[in-house]
Amino acid sequence: MTIQIKILLCASTFIFLFISNPIEALEDDALMKIVQANEYYHEKDYQSALKVFENVVAHGHNNGYLYYNLGNTHMRLGNTGYAILNYLKAKSLLPRNENLDANLRYAISQTVDQLNPPPKGLISGLLFWQKSISLDEHLRLLIIFNIVFWSVSIGLLYYRKPPWNMLKNISMGILLLIFASTGTQYYLQTNQKTAVVLKKKVDIKSDRGIHDITLFQLHEGAIISVDAEYGEWVNISLDKDKTGWILKESIGH
Amino acid sequence: MNHSIKINFQGWVILSTLLFSVAIPSIVFSDDIRLSASVDKNQLTLEDSIELSVTIHGVRKASNLELPPLPDFEVRSAGTQSSTQIFNSDIRTSTTHKYLLIPKNLGSFVIGPAILNLTGTVYKSDPIIVSVEKPKSGKANLNKNVFIETSVSKRDPFVNEQLIYTFKLFRQLEARNLNLNMPYDESLFRKEDIGKAKRYSQIIDGITYDVEEISMALFPLKVGKAVIPPSILELDLIYRTQGNRRHDPFARFFNDPFFGGSTQSVHKILTTKQTDLNIRRLPEEGKPNGFKNLVGRFAISAELGKTSLEAGDTTTLTVTVSGTGNILDVILSDHDLEERFKVYPDQPTFKQTIHGNQIGGEKVFKFALVPYSAGDKIIPPISLSYFDPEKRKYNILSTSPINLTVKPGVKDDTLNLVQPESMSYQRNGSSVSILARDILPIHTQLNDYENISFNNTDRAIYGIGIVAPVLLYIFVAGYIRYYHRIKDDASYFRKQTAYNIAKKKLYKLSLSNTESKIFVRELSQIIREYIGNKLNLQGTAFTSIEVEKKLTENCFEQQKIISVKKLLQKCESMQYMPVATGENSELIDESVYLLKELEKQV
Repeated sequence: MTIQIKILLCASTFIFLFISNPIEALEDDALMKIVQANEYYHEKDYQSALKVFENVVAHGHNNGYLYYNLGNTHMRLGNTGYAILNYLKAKSLLPRNENLDANLRYAISQTVDQLNPPPKGLISGLLFWQKSISLDEHLRLLIIFNIVFWSVSIGLLYYRKPPWNMLKNISMGILLLIFASTGTQYYLQTNQKTAVVLKKKVDIKSDRGIHDITLFQLHEGAIISVDAEYGEWVNISLDKDKTGWILKESIGH
Repeated sequence: MNHSIKINFQGWVILSTLLFSVAIPSIVFSDDIRLSASVDKNQLTLEDSIELSVTIHGVRKASNLELPPLPDFEVRSAGTQSSTQIFNSDIRTSTTHKYLLIPKNLGSFVIGPAILNLTGTVYKSDPIIVSVEKPKSGKANLNKNVFIETSVSKRDPFVNEQLIYTFKLFRQLEARNLNLNMPYDESLFRKEDIGKAKRYSQIIDGITYDVEEISMALFPLKVGKAVIPPSILELDLIYRTQGNRRHDPFARFFNDPFFGGSTQSVHKILTTKQTDLNIRRLPEEGKPNGFKNLVGRFAISAELGKTSLEAGDTTTLTVTVSGTGNILDVILSDHDLEERFKVYPDQPTFKQTIHGNQIGGEKVFKFALVPYSAGDKIIPPISLSYFDPEKRKYNILSTSPINLTVKPGVKDDTLNLVQPESMSYQRNGSSVSILARDILPIHTQLNDYENISFNNTDRAIYGIGIVAPVLLYIFVAGYIRYYHRIKDDASYFRKQTAYNIAKKKLYKLSLSNTESKIFVRELSQIIREYIGNKLNLQGTAFTSIEVEKKLTENCFEQQKIISVKKLLQKCESMQYMPVATGENSELIDESVYLLKELEKQV
């Protein structure tokens, strides 16, 4: 082993030990807090549980189960709007979790308007599996099938046989579908914003002004689509016919 | 004075005796100990009971009295009495244990001796013979103060047909402590109580009886012979002895039970006969499809809460089934509705009513309906089939279709369609009712709380995952193409390997210690071979002028062509003139440099 290789190995070990540890330490700290918050929840000290859960989220910890627990805590405190908001966040990370679906359904049933999350359009309808797979899972699938496709392509270069050609076509088809699905998912998550009404009752105005005409009213927990933001006002819609302006502070997304 | 002393003395004796008997309760006066048994009557019927009294004389509180085995009687304890009598200085004590013996069988029975064992000495009572006879039946009842009877509404009912089983107590006397047992086999019948007991008076052959009547509805569950066991009533009959007080103005007052002295209680056990039934099978002929064993007479009606509503709104369909029979068994399905509506069935409610002497009622089914789409809808007829035992035929009832207009909603179609999980359970026919709903618990598996933020490292990994396979493919594809060309194209192979071959040969030449002439000849050969390989020329026997020509044809730089030409000419000239050995390395260097330059050009 040459001196250069030894130096390189020592440097790698150093980096591994002294750079990865702070990340692990942060993770451990978040986990400890989550355990503590869960205990508060079980002791029915929901206010304390809420504080700890929100603190963990504020420190950048992004996890579906964390949002789920936060949603449950809000439900216990009677904050149906915040509960639905957190359940929706959890849903984007845990699209197939049955407990989450049940609690979200229950929370919606407790609202006055009982509005379900808005539909995601024709492309989403065609890519029917898309709503059951999170963006993170989409990306992992994309990478896996990218590797599969290019590996099969390399195999085809070597063997040049019809089965390899068929395999290549199949893997290419799947890769294209996943690529389209991932792209759609990414677009929907970044551009199509879903929000939740957090106040007990809000007026939806015809324009950006308190004194403008009230078109309709929504209640806490109503799930709406955010179309545009303009200063303190947000343009929202329930469907093509029901759109209007609402104060940004009234909703959460 | 003497008199007072005597009284004083007697008082002391009594007091001392009492204290003595209390302090030593089990004192034995062995000379007077004996055991006696007696019954209040020796002849009785199955409806009567006898009181057996076992008296222990000379002992107080003897606890080890043994009764003889009495398999033909039901034995109940009726209490214990103790007495102490003092006649002058003679103290007589006794304890009487009383038992109520209820006969089970007919015949003559011997009540064996009761046994008392006191410190090894065994005392026995005398045996008693009693005779149990049949109670007088039929019209003989009419001569009695009290009698009971049972009846059924039908001896050969159909399976599931309502059967009324009635018990009646006829009495002329006051009765207390009534205990009625109306047994039935739960595997053969389902029972429904019919209200409270009725009380009325009835005159039979000029005698007025107080009648107490109680009924229950029985629904036979199995076809074939069935038996309703005898009903048993235990009661105490109160006999009043009025004597001469009949003419006493205060007689009524003192006859009141409160003053008790003029009444006598007789315990009676009255038993009816068993009831034999023949349960008939329902006829197969004309049995409708979907018949659900309803037997009786029923009616059905349906009503819709709102007949005009907006999409997403809810309306309630109320279906009421009423009549007599096994109405509790009525089940309505919502399968026909589910195609057009989201259906939320409610728990059915039941209200029991009595029609004559028949049990009946009203079972109400409620379905919350949410139409799937706008437009004119029809609530289809809801059918119910039952068997009418009076007419002995099956009937099918249907509700009328109900029109419903669903306007395109102001609300979203999806509004109010949040279906609670519990509903699915109720629709499966389970009788479990949901009392409350709540959220499911929090997640506590710590392994699942990994932070999945999309940071730069993740971006880099995903980027590599996307790009790396493409680059690998390009590299492998290039290599394979190169590999195939090298393999298939000899001129390409020569061209590609020319430089490396020349370089190796030059290196070997530089290491060899050959003579100058041979050295330069080999050097010249290496360069010619390189150019031949590069330009795909056959052989190496070409002059420097021919090399210049070939290189020019292949568009090499003129300066490089001249350098090659000069080097080859130099090698050719050196083969014919003496050369210092020190120039060999310079020639090698010059050749390597020149080949590098030519390789760049290629």
